[in-house]
Amino acid sequence: MRTDARARARPFRGLAAFLGTEVLVQAHEELAMATSMVVQVVLLVFVWVLNPGLIGVALVGAVLFSMFAMGQRVLNEAAYIRIDHKVSDLYLASPLSAEAYFLGISAGVLLVYLAPVVVVAVLATVVVHLTVADVGLLALLAAAVWLTSASIGYVFSTAFRDNRAIWAYSSLFFNVFGVLPPVFYPFGLFPVALRPVVLLMPPSAAAAILQGVLGAATLTHAELLLAAGGLAGESAGLFAFASYWARRTVRGR
Amino acid sequence: MAAVRSRTRAGRAAVSMSGEALRSDQLRKVYRSKGGPPVEALAGVTMRVARGERVALLGRNGAGKTTFLRIASTLLRPTSGTIEVFGCDVDRAPEKVRPYIAVVPQEGKPFFHLTPREQIYSYLRARGLGRETSKVRTADALERMSLTEFADRLSITLSGGQRQRTMVATVIATEAPLLFLDEPTIGMDPFARRSVWESLRNLTRRGSTILLTTHYLDEADALSQRLYIVDRGTVLVEGTAEDLKRSVGGTLKVLLPQGAAEVERFRSFGSCVPDGESLTVIASPERLGELMDVAVRSHLTATVGPVTLEEAFLRVVGRSINED
Ligand SMILES: Nc1ncnc2c1ncn2[C@@H]1O[C@H](COP(=O)(O)OP(=O)(O)OP(=O)(O)O)[C@@H](O)[C@H]1O
Ligand SMILES: [Mg+2]
Repeated sequence: MRTDARARARPFRGLAAFLGTEVLVQAHEELAMATSMVVQVVLLVFVWVLNPGLIGVALVGAVLFSMFAMGQRVLNEAAYIRIDHKVSDLYLASPLSAEAYFLGISAGVLLVYLAPVVVVAVLATVVVHLTVADVGLLALLAAAVWLTSASIGYVFSTAFRDNRAIWAYSSLFFNVFGVLPPVFYPFGLFPVALRPVVLLMPPSAAAAILQGVLGAATLTHAELLLAAGGLAGESAGLFAFASYWARRTVRGR
Repeated sequence: MAAVRSRTRAGRAAVSMSGEALRSDQLRKVYRSKGGPPVEALAGVTMRVARGERVALLGRNGAGKTTFLRIASTLLRPTSGTIEVFGCDVDRAPEKVRPYIAVVPQEGKPFFHLTPREQIYSYLRARGLGRETSKVRTADALERMSLTEFADRLSITLSGGQRQRTMVATVIATEAPLLFLDEPTIGMDPFARRSVWESLRNLTRRGSTILLTTHYLDEADALSQRLYIVDRGTVLVEGTAEDLKRSVGGTLKVLLPQGAAEVERFRSFGSCVPDGESLTVIASPERLGELMDVAVRSHLTATVGPVTLEEAFLRVVGRSINED
């Protein structure tokens, strides 16, 4: 009939339009864009006051933490449009695929909140004298961290029926995973016995790899392998799972 | 026979534009939530909607209307039974159904930081429609829903009814073959409601099918060609609004503003509904003269009018409640 039957064969066809919608919608939250850097700036000031020599490590950590914190925004946004607006029904009961919906929200968050992160990344590049290869590695690791956090954020968003319940859990999760482990401070300062644990947490794994490469921390081969393998596995695995989960949770039970 | 049955159970997974737009057989839904007893929201709903038809789903709060619409629109899984949209099994192949449907969710709100124009246009684009088509349809839908004046204001600055009009306009603009509208005109003024009715009639003239729920019985009367009344998860009545009105035993309604105290005198004329001091009697035209005589002798004034769908609904659903 009149509906574009081709849409069926191309479920990502509307992704660009939905992504545009999400960017437009979220770009209106100027205050949220500004406050998205508060934790990072505060921690950078702490590090600078306590030990200015570690500011390079902290700047790189701030970039990775910022990417990780985007998952919290994916969680909030996905939950908000589903629970408060129910406008999600419009998109989920349409030819736009569930995967495109998940990607649209995640990439929308990324585009809107990326600018201040780039500023910090440029600062890090200058302060730490990063080479082009280092910057490439930072970008790659940042992308992997974003992929894991956006996936976790979206999956979490499907578990709640009330926005107030989300606030408590999301800040707990994202702060414990992002602030507590050695992201803003050197991996070497973390207790040896607990190192394998933080090497399996995406932001601290990425930070440890970079610190190792930049000479700010000494990692054994096994530790480097664990961090890199873990991060690669987690980002690919969680993204695949979130895509599957997005498809599955279109329909409530 | 066995082969036929097993094929039916497996369900068909291809959309076919011939035959019915929607059919459900013994559709059941039991909600199971932690810490509460299971709720049987649908207890075996069998329904048929022909292509191009406008069908209203009526019922009290909690009757199961939204549950049915959500299952039909691929947003909720049924517990058992089958449901097909254009011949395609909704539970088995929801992604095949989605290009052919559009939904106005109950209590949905447009994105606050989009204007109605942006909302409609970007939604059409997200559905995969081209730029030009989307632009033309957006302007058309804005016009139809009298939103042109507010088209470029952020939705956050619009009134409740204007936001609801934006939601309906967004879905109408899709011109999808099957539209599900859950209380689409809630909060709209009488003019806006009529614009919605006209737009929906227009869509069905051009081949779309519409299944909507509403608590405005005049809306169901004016808009739907057929209706289903559901109560506690089962279909109580199916038919046209006229069928339903006839089924309550009379086509006239006599309102006696001071008649409640005299209810016993009128019982023999038909069903009596006291409401405060007033009394409404549903009667047949043949006994109207006799009834008026009794009213005059009792020094009561009376006004006579046709039975409305709302009264028929109250009688039919009320009877079902009393039977339990
Ligand atoms: N998520 C849920 N969990 C448990 N019970 C539910 C859930 N959603 C709905 N119900 C129950 O299922 C029944 C049917 O609800 P439904 O929303 O379909 O009613 P409705 O006919 O749309 O009512 P209304 O006119 O108020 O919108 C109600 O008893 C309701 O309490
Ligand atoms: Mg409802």
